Amino acid sequence: MSGHVDDLLPLEAAGALGPEDAERVAAHVESCEACASAARRWRTLAAALRDLDSPAPSPRLLARTRERVERRRAEREEETWNRAALGFLIVFGWTLTGVVWLLLELVLGELALRSEQPVGSTLVWFVTYLVAGWVTAAAAALLLGRQAREEGRLA
Amino acid sequence: MGRHQDRLLRYLRRLLGDDAVAEDLFQQTWVHVAERIRRYDASRPFAPWLLAVAHNLAFDHFRRRRPQSLDDGPEPAAAVDGLEGAAVGDPLARLAAKERRERLASAVSDLGPRDREAIALRFEQELALPEIARVLGVPLPTAKARLYRALRRLEARLLAGGPPEEWT
Repeated sequence: MSGHVDDLLPLEAAGALGPEDAERVAAHVESCEACASAARRWRTLAAALRDLDSPAPSPRLLARTRERVERRRAEREEETWNRAALGFLIVFGWTLTGVVWLLLELVLGELALRSEQPVGSTLVWFVTYLVAGWVTAAAAALLLGRQAREEGRLA
Repeated sequence: MGRHQDRLLRYLRRLLGDDAVAEDLFQQTWVHVAERIRRYDASRPFAPWLLAVAHNLAFDHFRRRRPQSLDDGPEPAAAVDGLEGAAVGDPLARLAAKERRERLASAVSDLGPRDREAIALRFEQELALPEIARVLGVPLPTAKARLYRALRRLEARLLAGGPPEEWT
């Protein structure tokens, strides 16, 4: 018998041959006992592979998994909220800075008119405001960061 | 998680060969799925997408653990050399069912991760070749070649594990 199909048998048993090769195997094994016997062995092996044991996930594992998914979801929500809050604070900070400049212009101009005393330039007061604002923000950020680290250590 | 939890854990156990790691990656897979569920195309089957997520995590794990160990050992032809004429398979047939399964499971677990994965995806997960290719992130002919090589290597392991016997 010529044209043995041994090389096709593993994939034939796996159901992974194309139609042409599958037909070739089917035709050949009808008349070739050696290949028919090998094909039976491969099919038996394939069936055994499908039946290999594997335990299902334990209830404890499933509970831990749900807990982990929920924890991660909560973290993501917090991260999203934090990003939104940070964006708002940045916009708010720059808006406030612009408003402060306008207010200083107005107030200092009015004071200069009423008191007839020098009250300093708007720029000096504005820079003072900015420095005070940034120092306060940096101190607050340091304190919050330290607190977050402490909470992380305790968690 | 529902109906996919069993098949996911089965796939990870077979691929990783370590229950503790498989359970950790089982959890990580569901966390990733929860985070990326918007990327899932609902017009396609869920199982291959889920298994592709697990596949990526598992191979990240392999790369972290032992960067150059993803190969699957000797080529199947070399492994079968010397057993020429011993009949393509033998060992399964005369063993009692339990013993036969244990021996087969052991032979599968001795394979490399890529071989174990190809076998698990085809026989345990019952995925078609195009779905296997999608999970592995490789072209269809590559998936087919991997499955073929995995089966040949498994055959070699079985033949090497005992005297030639019939499978049937």
